[in-house]
Amino acid sequence: MFRLQGSKVLAVDMTQDAVKAKNGSMVAYDGEMAFKKLSGGGEGIRGMVTRRITGEQMTVMEVRGQGTCWFADRASEITLVGLQGDKLYVESSNFLAADAGLRTGTSFTGTRGASQGNGLFTTTIEGHGQAAIMSDGPAVVLRVSAQYPLTVDPGAYVAHQGNLRQSFQSGVTFRTLFGEGGGEAFQIRFEGDGLVYVQPSERNTIAGDV
Amino acid sequence: MAFEEINSKMVRATVAPGQRLFSQRGAMLAYQGEVSFTPNLRGGQGGVMSMIGRRVANEDTPLMTVEGSGTVLFGHGGHHVQVINLSGDTLYVEADRLLAFEGTLEQSTVFLGSQGGVMGMVRGQVSGQGLFTTSLKGHGSVAVMAHGGVFEVPITPHRPVRVDPQAYVAHHGDVRNKLSTALGWRDMVGRGSGEAFQLELSGSGTVFVQASEEKL
Repeated sequence: MFRLQGSKVLAVDMTQDAVKAKNGSMVAYDGEMAFKKLSGGGEGIRGMVTRRITGEQMTVMEVRGQGTCWFADRASEITLVGLQGDKLYVESSNFLAADAGLRTGTSFTGTRGASQGNGLFTTTIEGHGQAAIMSDGPAVVLRVSAQYPLTVDPGAYVAHQGNLRQSFQSGVTFRTLFGEGGGEAFQIRFEGDGLVYVQPSERNTIAGDV
Repeated sequence: MAFEEINSKMVRATVAPGQRLFSQRGAMLAYQGEVSFTPNLRGGQGGVMSMIGRRVANEDTPLMTVEGSGTVLFGHGGHHVQVINLSGDTLYVEADRLLAFEGTLEQSTVFLGSQGGVMGMVRGQVSGQGLFTTSLKGHGSVAVMAHGGVFEVPITPHRPVRVDPQAYVAHHGDVRNKLSTALGWRDMVGRGSGEAFQLELSGSGTVFVQASEEKL
């Protein structure tokens, strides 16, 4: 069972069940817990091959036991996400924890990664259960519907879920290249039906300098 | 109570004649009234021997004495601040996390290495936390700093608490600590979960943990 203790600490109450969490994110626990390293990119040989190819550097551990385990990472804000059979896409650096019953994998994000310096691949979490994602400052959840597409700064994008198509937009023009850019040269556009998590901060991206 | 939390990163202290406060040097943000700040060359209380002890123990965070009549705002580096009230018990905290404390408290330096045997010695090396820690004893309140918010975990005789050494802030009560290791040979060949070392606290009391693994 996931619960937030304040906005920056995730408490997970466990009764011999398990949770997947970012390596090294445990800050305290009581009871008995065992920590085992897993690897990102999904299970099995396919996952292993994917990891090698994609270089998606998510190192995950499995925590199993009885008691309460507290997770936090660099005082980042934490948001809980409930999954009912749908898929959550999250940058591996924004992933904190998920029920062990959820499947984790890697998916191709297209050209977005290149502008972000975050790699071309992103982490996916799928199934029924809870996940915890991190953001720099409290994340807002924006709903995207057929009538209301959403455009997001790549540096402020944290995660999305639902049935969404994403496309990469470039506002780079002749003028931008001559130093008259608006500072918003690259954007990601989401269309369809789903939720997008946005943080009030911009990671340093190549796009930010254009 | 001498300290009042204004927001998560600032405390207000009330100073009255005849009462002293100690604070980390440079941590004053603003003050009202007649208040004087004097650098405390001895780094707090306890005389020359205590000063040498702290120098040797590398627990020598420069302090200043705050006296007079008025109110003072304290904060430092945008760190979160937590006020801990002591009623006769002892608080253990790293000196660099001390923002301010009341002069009624007795300050000294304790050697923690002795508590955990060889592992206790290793603890300082691994966690980057010193083998020596400052202790404050008596009746009064203390403001400590942390990166991110602080939460309290109770320690009871049947329920010891393990803490990431980097996320540990302070503890009080009748508590023994030792560094435990979850290291197996698999971890040695690079399959570690990143939770190889844990600070085990048992007995009865409270441990304060920060929402981050970053040192101040």
